[in-house]
Amino acid sequence: MVWAKTAAAYLAVVLIALTINFALPRLAPGDPLSFLLPEDVLAEMTEADQTAVLAEFGLDRPIPVQFVDYAIGVLTGDLGTSVSYGAPVWRVVADHLPWTLLLMGWSLALSTLLGTALGVMAARHRGGTRDIGATVVVLFLGSAPVFWIAMLLITVFSARLGWLPSFGAVPLTAFPGSPGYLWGIVERLIMPVTALTIVQTAGVWLTARSSMAVALARDYVTFAHAKGVPEGQVFWRHALRTAILPIYTNVMIGVGGLLGGALVVETVFSYPGVGTLIVAGVEARDYNLLQGVFLVATLSVIAANLVADLTYPFLDPRVRR
Amino acid sequence: MSSIAEPSSPPPRRATPSLSAVQWTGVGMLSVLIAIVTLGPMVLPFDPGESVCPPFSRPSLPHPLGCNDVGQDLLAGILSGGRISLAVGLVTALVATALATVIAIGSAWRGGFVDIAVMRFVDAVMALPFLPLVVVLSAFFGASYTVQIGILCLVLWTQPLRELRAQALNLRRADYTDAARAMGASAWYVTTRHILPELVPLIVPQFIRIAHAAILTESALSFLGLGDPIAKSWGTILFHANARTAFLTDAWLWWVMPPGLLIALSVLGLALLGHGIGDRLQDGTVSGTERDGDAAPRLGDALVEARDVTLSYGEARALHGVALSIPKGETLGLIGESGSGKSTLAMTMLRLLPPAARVERGSAWVGEDDLLGLPKAALRHVRGRRIGLVPQAAMNALNPVRSVGSQIAEAVRVHGATRAEATARAAELMRLVSLPEDRLSAHPHTLSGGMRQRVAIAIALAAEPEVLIADEPTTGLDVLVQESILDLLQDLSARLGLTVLFITHDLPMIARRAGRLLILQDGRVVDEGAPTDLARAPGHVHTQALFDAILPLRGSKRWDRDIPSGAPLLEVQEVSVTFGTGLPDRLRGVRPVQALREATIRLRAGEVLGLVGGSGSGKTTLARAVLGLQPMTGGRIEVAGGAPRPGGPATMIFQDPYQSMRPAMRVRDVVAEPLTIRGMPPEGKVRQALSSAGLPSDDALLDRRLGSLSGGQRQRVAVARAIVAAPKLLVADEPTSMLDQSLRAELLALLERLRAEHELGILFITHDLALARHFCDRIAVMCEGEIIETGAADAILEAAHPYTRDLIKAVDA
Repeated sequence: MVWAKTAAAYLAVVLIALTINFALPRLAPGDPLSFLLPEDVLAEMTEADQTAVLAEFGLDRPIPVQFVDYAIGVLTGDLGTSVSYGAPVWRVVADHLPWTLLLMGWSLALSTLLGTALGVMAARHRGGTRDIGATVVVLFLGSAPVFWIAMLLITVFSARLGWLPSFGAVPLTAFPGSPGYLWGIVERLIMPVTALTIVQTAGVWLTARSSMAVALARDYVTFAHAKGVPEGQVFWRHALRTAILPIYTNVMIGVGGLLGGALVVETVFSYPGVGTLIVAGVEARDYNLLQGVFLVATLSVIAANLVADLTYPFLDPRVRR
Repeated sequence: MSSIAEPSSPPPRRATPSLSAVQWTGVGMLSVLIAIVTLGPMVLPFDPGESVCPPFSRPSLPHPLGCNDVGQDLLAGILSGGRISLAVGLVTALVATALATVIAIGSAWRGGFVDIAVMRFVDAVMALPFLPLVVVLSAFFGASYTVQIGILCLVLWTQPLRELRAQALNLRRADYTDAARAMGASAWYVTTRHILPELVPLIVPQFIRIAHAAILTESALSFLGLGDPIAKSWGTILFHANARTAFLTDAWLWWVMPPGLLIALSVLGLALLGHGIGDRLQDGTVSGTERDGDAAPRLGDALVEARDVTLSYGEARALHGVALSIPKGETLGLIGESGSGKSTLAMTMLRLLPPAARVERGSAWVGEDDLLGLPKAALRHVRGRRIGLVPQAAMNALNPVRSVGSQIAEAVRVHGATRAEATARAAELMRLVSLPEDRLSAHPHTLSGGMRQRVAIAIALAAEPEVLIADEPTTGLDVLVQESILDLLQDLSARLGLTVLFITHDLPMIARRAGRLLILQDGRVVDEGAPTDLARAPGHVHTQALFDAILPLRGSKRWDRDIPSGAPLLEVQEVSVTFGTGLPDRLRGVRPVQALREATIRLRAGEVLGLVGGSGSGKTTLARAVLGLQPMTGGRIEVAGGAPRPGGPATMIFQDPYQSMRPAMRVRDVVAEPLTIRGMPPEGKVRQALSSAGLPSDDALLDRRLGSLSGGQRQRVAVARAIVAAPKLLVADEPTSMLDQSLRAELLALLERLRAEHELGILFITHDLALARHFCDRIAVMCEGEIIETGAADAILEAAHPYTRDLIKAVDA
């Protein structure tokens, strides 16, 4: 029963994403053909040609039939052809996705560790001048646009100090597989991951600080003291044990936001992840590509949510069955 | 015998002033930014669109931030770009919040399928990755900032909707909402007058959060090249800077830095403004509060002795030189009403106090040790090992994510036992408190309230302490469960030879169980002695009042009325109510619960009928059905010859005067509400009702807010509200159970006077059999939705049903 419910909920999200993708070219202002073909091609076509194209794409059939066709196409891996890359959208996105996942994985891990550690410490000394100072700094970092931070990192570490390369993901000069090549990849990973981590840590810090403060004020913490439990043990085994729950939930909910940040950061570093496809898609009016990116992004976030849903019961016995 | 005790928390500490200073900083930053972007472009001589200097000019006097790649003045661009960025943020926040509020209230109010559909949709939209969604929408719908606002609203209304709807749902279930509906208020009235005003404090942080997200998202969209090409925002300026790789040249200082900094500062201003709003962080306790002043000399040789214990919260003194002594093996009952300082005294002995508390002077010994003078490090060897604490509200005292066994074993291990010893001891303790051993691996949420309290007792006894402090250990438990816990504690303290400090507000209960009583009032010990001596010769008026308020189960009836002969007023015939039968509930997996099974009662004008039963027996459901608030699945109800309807001849007095009226309302408006809803002029009647309820009827009281009144005063206002529209039937749902003993008698006297004056019929709901016997003419006993017994109040002692016998046993001396 619970399984069926969870599955239904995930299916609903996929269905809504599909519906949005399906509806966009049909609802958006303008001719549906203008979303399928580049402008210059469209300008040279006659009306008969256009009708023929419409028939070829099945756009003259009833909407429900079109939707079923579309859904089947997507499920069989057919996301259409990218105009700007001249290749199937599925392939283009799959080529770029690993780089985005690499960025996200590192910044997710770093920001969670850093934010939790610093936030929990802040909860212990809540209310002091230093706490307020730290709060303002963290809020500022969380308020800054991530692409702006990325640009400033380049200014300092590439343009001024010349320490790190600011372009791409792999060195063009080193032989693939060599130590120099691997080091080149690491070098190019540092700045994008740093930019993402800075922004992401702020959110984790705030959650960790407040959920720890809430946990420390609970009756069971007082009762643990009354049992004679040493102070450190009360802090770690009682307060932190429950404070972890909201931190975990918020980090997992934040994966979607982190993905957004990664896409933007990639454009600054010309990092060959999915984010660069967005810019290419916007410039070339490559609508198929943008839809494909959106769909893959949705599926990735759903996968992250699924992992969160399945692992949460290990942390919180109250939701175990 | 109250099941809901006083809140034992200390007076709330004033809000940290620095927090609101943080918020003022946010307001200041936003005001300055808005002023600059509104006035700036009016002062500047250049239009942001015209080319006024050579491309890539460095900063100069006429162009302080230089120029961009097409020779436009950057300062002019940044100032007018701010207008776009901030406007997008604020307009989006305005529209999305309004949308979310309306849908949240509607969805929560309608419930059922509408609510399910809305929430499932919201869940699904929220699971979509935010930025890619906005990007794909913007790409198709074109780049203009009006479209951007629309798209941002479409995506950003879901999060606030979810939070506001959860709150609206709580508000809809609140007692004061019920009260308004019982007065016959329309849905529109309740939502606009009660729900919306209470929701506003939550709407504000949502607005801030959306503005925050909208400004950042707009900048990201524009940075990706999806901004309005004509109206350039800060994000668009950065897009061009990035496209021209301005960050690799000196131009980063005047082209990249200013717009990004301004975005960050605007969003920071919003974040500061929203920081701490809606935070209801309570202070926990601090371990090891130090004594400021002098110790007191020890006088006796009792095992536990306290002398001259004086404590204050800020300016307010909570304990004034309190002294007590308990010889080894005896039980001392510490009695006090809310705010008397009884729990504070217990926690002072354990040195577990809120940060605001200051121990001024005094001593508290257990054996040779003055607990108030012990070094902090030594405290933990006293806690648990020498003094065990049985806390109030065990549901909150157990860690929800750790197993019962690990929490019991921990209490053994921290005092030096090995893991194996602790495990064995935990099993032994479970047997001691009569719990099955196999529940050691259970988590607290799977146990009933009584079982959790037993676990808490096991933890208190884990390290074999000599002294036990029981702090209202039966708070929140059902009457019969209370009794079993008390028996267990008494039995254990006798078997283990414990010295017990038992804190309670329940005089008749403790008088039966403690050797000596100590009476605390406003932080002072006012009386002390054996229960029988105090009852015979009280040494203080407060003691006298406490004993006078006791209603014994036997003896003469306090309110003995003639047999009522008035007209039949209430006729409840075979009424059944089943919850959770609707399709939406079934879809949620709710099992149907039969709350009432063919209940039948009758009540005449001028008569008081007691409805008695434990928690969950269906008393309140029956009351709601009589008021017309609860649809029936079967049976018939007649009130004064008509069908039950909200705003009809029946009114209700709720149990909790803190919940049944909104604290923000004025006394005048609360009492006038039944008239306002009926469209009747309130003047005169409000004052009359207030003086009938024994309150002053001057403007000073009429203009006060409910929040500034005490519990006793509030309940009188509730009575005034209940009688203002001249009802025939009063439904009183445990009207005295939240009040202190001394106030109960006053309220009952008031109800009796009103009954006699207006020939009111009263349906009196209570779990207290003794109270029902004295105040009611007849009693109906309820158990699991059924009326198992009805009869004259006087004859209740002869009741035959086993459940009734258990209830009698629980209060019989």
